[in-house]
Amino acid sequence: MHSVLTRGNAILAYSLSVLAVLTFVCFISTVFIDYRTNATMNTVKVVVKNVADYSASREKNDLGFLTFDLQTDLTHLFNWNVKQLFLYLTAEYSTPNNQLNQVVLWDKIIQRGENAVLDFKNMNTKYYFWDDGNGLRGNQNVTLTLSWNIIPNAGLLPSIFALGSHAFRFPVEYTTARV
Amino acid sequence: MYFFDTLPTHMDYDGQRKAEKLSRIIITLFGVVGLIWGYIIQQFSQTVYILFAGFVLAALVTVPPWPMYRRKPLQWQKPRPECDGTESVMKSKKKK
Repeated sequence: MHSVLTRGNAILAYSLSVLAVLTFVCFISTVFIDYRTNATMNTVKVVVKNVADYSASREKNDLGFLTFDLQTDLTHLFNWNVKQLFLYLTAEYSTPNNQLNQVVLWDKIIQRGENAVLDFKNMNTKYYFWDDGNGLRGNQNVTLTLSWNIIPNAGLLPSIFALGSHAFRFPVEYTTARV
Repeated sequence: MYFFDTLPTHMDYDGQRKAEKLSRIIITLFGVVGLIWGYIIQQFSQTVYILFAGFVLAALVTVPPWPMYRRKPLQWQKPRPECDGTESVMKSKKKK
């Protein structure tokens, strides 16, 4: 502490140590919070087509089209260790080819301060619902679930499943009209 | 440039101890207050800003060698004339 430089170095080092401790306290204060909450979703229009998937094998695969409703209130999930939520809507189903298929159909980023009360009606999906074969037509049990990643200031990056899901079935006939 | 040479940069030992203690107290205090305030309003960024304010205050108060850190200079012993063999000192002694 005998010169200006050593004193500046000492208080900078000490400030950074304190900052590390504060960040750790922030992490500890939020690590045990249960971030699950209710979400209700519903499908409105469900059709399936059989078209060539030019992005993959060029063979004809099943392509599902659906529109959905989604209601949930995520406002209370935000605290001082949440910067944003990454929501994604997943369809899960099983086919003869695969025991478990998971397809992300839609996603959304909600940042701190933005409106987190979601009430969507008849929304289109953002991403194609491709199957890797012909497993969608007449599939009796496709489950929609909503999940979210919590992007924190410090700590873990948990992936949370919303409470509530919606099961629907695809029609047994392919649609040939334009959707 | 002579102006800068005339600036005092010295802190005595007691002043160094006081400066270190004071900087620790200021930064810790601002950190604790920032943590509490940030938790109340649920904004961790405010915690970081308050800690930064404490850092700036501590830098202003304890980095420059203010006169308050120079109040207890070391009491050096007077040079003993017998042990001193340099010529200049001998000359000054003779003049006296």
